[in-house]
Amino acid sequence: MTSHQTVTIIMIEDDEGHARLIEKNIRRAGISNEIRHFTDGTSALEFLYDHPSGPAQNGPALILLDLNLPDMSGTDLLGRFKAEDSALKRTPIIVLTTTDDKVEVQNCYDLGCNVYITKPVNYDSFADAIRQLGLFLSVIQVPDLPEANG
Amino acid sequence: MIRGIIQWDRRLSRLAVGAITLGFLALLATGVTAYLSVRENQFYASRVNHSFKVQRALTDFIAEMNRAEIGRRGYLLTGVAAHAETYYKARDGLFPLLAHVRDLTRDNPRQQANVARLIALTRSDLPFMDQSIALVRSGRRDEGVRLFRDSVGRRAVTTLRAQTALMVDEEDRLLAIRQAATARSIRLFYVTVAAAGAILLLLAAGSIWVIARYTRDLAASRDQLRLLNDDLEGAVRERTTDLQRANDEIQRFAYIVSHDLRSPLVNVMGFTSELEATAKTLGAMMGRAEQQAPDLVDAEAKRALREDMPEALNFIRTSTEKMDRLINAILRLSREGRRAVTLEKLDMDALIQSIADVHRHRIDANDIDLSIAPDLPDIVSDRLAVEQIFGNIVENAIKYMVPGRRGRIEIRGRSEGRRAIFEVADNGRGIDPRDHHRIFDLFRRSGMQDQQGEGIGLAHVRAIAYRLGGMISVDSELARGATFRIDLPIEFSGEQRILE
Repeated sequence: MTSHQTVTIIMIEDDEGHARLIEKNIRRAGISNEIRHFTDGTSALEFLYDHPSGPAQNGPALILLDLNLPDMSGTDLLGRFKAEDSALKRTPIIVLTTTDDKVEVQNCYDLGCNVYITKPVNYDSFADAIRQLGLFLSVIQVPDLPEANG
Repeated sequence: MIRGIIQWDRRLSRLAVGAITLGFLALLATGVTAYLSVRENQFYASRVNHSFKVQRALTDFIAEMNRAEIGRRGYLLTGVAAHAETYYKARDGLFPLLAHVRDLTRDNPRQQANVARLIALTRSDLPFMDQSIALVRSGRRDEGVRLFRDSVGRRAVTTLRAQTALMVDEEDRLLAIRQAATARSIRLFYVTVAAAGAILLLLAAGSIWVIARYTRDLAASRDQLRLLNDDLEGAVRERTTDLQRANDEIQRFAYIVSHDLRSPLVNVMGFTSELEATAKTLGAMMGRAEQQAPDLVDAEAKRALREDMPEALNFIRTSTEKMDRLINAILRLSREGRRAVTLEKLDMDALIQSIADVHRHRIDANDIDLSIAPDLPDIVSDRLAVEQIFGNIVENAIKYMVPGRRGRIEIRGRSEGRRAIFEVADNGRGIDPRDHHRIFDLFRRSGMQDQQGEGIGLAHVRAIAYRLGGMISVDSELARGATFRIDLPIEFSGEQRILE
C-alpha cells in the first residue's frame, strides 16, 4: 500500500527565501514527504523526466511550481507537464506565484494546473495557504493510487 | 491665410456683383438711347414726309396755275368755250391749294410769310385774268388780248412761279436738315445697338470668367480641405497609436515592477514572522533563565530582546505592509489600464443614485445633505469604470468634511455638445489651489493627514477618466469646499478601435 512518504514534493522555485518559507510551513503542517528543490526549469525538467528516481520513472509526485523562473516561463513548463503525451499529465501541479492577476490565474487553470496559490505578503495567510496544501496533499493520495501500483 | 483668402474672395465677389450690375445698367442705358433714337428718327421722318407734302402741294399749285394760264391763252386765241371751262376749273382750284399749303406750313413763319405773299400775288393777278376772259366772251376780243399782253408785260405768272420755287427751295433746305437729322439718329441707333452688343458680350465674358473662377476656387479649396482632413485624421491616428503604445508600455512596466517587487517582499514579511517566532522562543528561554539564573541575564540583553527587537520587527512589518499596499495600488492601476472596457448605455440618474445608496450609511451617520440634480445626461461608457469614478469622488467628499459644519454634497450634470459634464460639489475642507495638480498624482495627498489613505483614489479616478476619453479637474479653495468636474464623452467609441 502506498503511504504518504512515497509522494515526492518537487518544488521549482528560483527564490531561495520563498523555497525556505514554503518548506518550513510544509514541515510545520506536519508533512514529512521528501521535498526536492530546483531553482530553474532546466534542472527540474531533467530530474522530472530523466532521473531514475524522478516521477516519470518512479512516481508519484506533487509539483509546486513558481511562474517566474530565470531560464524559462513557468506557464511553458506547466504546458509541457500537462501536454497529452507527457508522463506527468496526471501529476498534480500547484502553481505558487506572487501575482493574483485574473488572466494569469485563468491561463494556468486552462493549462491544467490543479491549484493556484498566491504568495501573499501577509505571512499568516501564506502559512495558511501552505497548510491547506498539506490537506490537499492527503486528498490527492487517492487518485494517485492506481498509478503508483501500476 | 484662410482669412486673407476669404477677404479677397469677398472683395472679388463684391467687385463681380458691382461689375455685373454696372453692365446691366449700361445695357439699360443703351436700350433707352435706342428707344430715344428711334423716336427721334420717327419724328424727323415724319418731318421729311411733311416737307414732301408741302413741296407736292406747291407743285400742284404751279400745275394748276399753268393749266389756268393754258386755258386762258387757248380761249384768247381760239374763242373756243372749252378753253374757258378749263381756265375756270383750274382757277377755282388755286385758292384751296394755297390754303392747304398755308395750313401745312403753319409751324414755319418764313413759309407763312412766303405763302401770304403767294396768296396776295395770286389774288392781285386773278382779276386781270378773269377780266380778259370776260372781255373775249362779250366780243371785245382785242381788249382782252391787250389785257393779256399787259399781264405778260407785268410777268405776273413768272413772279408767281418764282415765289413758289422760293417756297420749294425753303422746303428743300428744311428737307436737307431733316434728312441729316434722320441719318444722325439712325447712326446713333446703330452705335447704341453696337454698344449694347459689346456690353452684352463683355457681361457674358465677365460672368463666365467669374463663375469659372469661383468653380475653380471652390474645387481647389474642397480638394485642399479633403487633403487637410485626411492628413489630420492620419496625424490623430498616428498620435493616438503612439500614445496607446506608450501607455501599454507603462502598464506593462507597472505590472512587471509591482510583480517583481512583491517577490522580495514576501521574503521580508515571511522571515520577519520567522524572526518573531524565534524571538518568542528566545523570550521564553530568557524568562526561564531569569528564574533559574538571574545573574546570567543582563539589562542590555533584556532590553534588546524585549524592546529593541519587537520595535524593529514592528517597523519592518508596518513598512512592508505599506509597501505592499503601494505595490497593490500600482498593480490595480496597471490592471485598470489593461481592462477591456465594455460599452453600454448608462442611465446616469440611476447610477448616481446607486452610488449614493452605497454610501447611505456614512452619509446619514455624518448628517450630510446629499442632493442629486434631476435629468443627468445619459452616456455610453463602461459601467464599472464610471461607478468607480463617482464612487471615489463621493467617498472623498464624505471623508473630507469640516467637523462641526453640516455637510452638503451636490451632484449635477449637463451636456455640452458631445460631452457630458458632471460636477460633484461639496462644502468640505477644500484643497489648496497649489495642490490641485498634485492630488491626481499617485501616492500624493493634500492638506491635513488625519484620514486613512494612500493617495491612490484620485490617481485611479484620473486614470479611469482618461481611459474613458474623459477628463477630471477640480475647483477648490481651502475651507471653501471643492467641486470636482468630470468631463466624459456622451458616446465613448473607445480609442482601442483606432488601434485595431
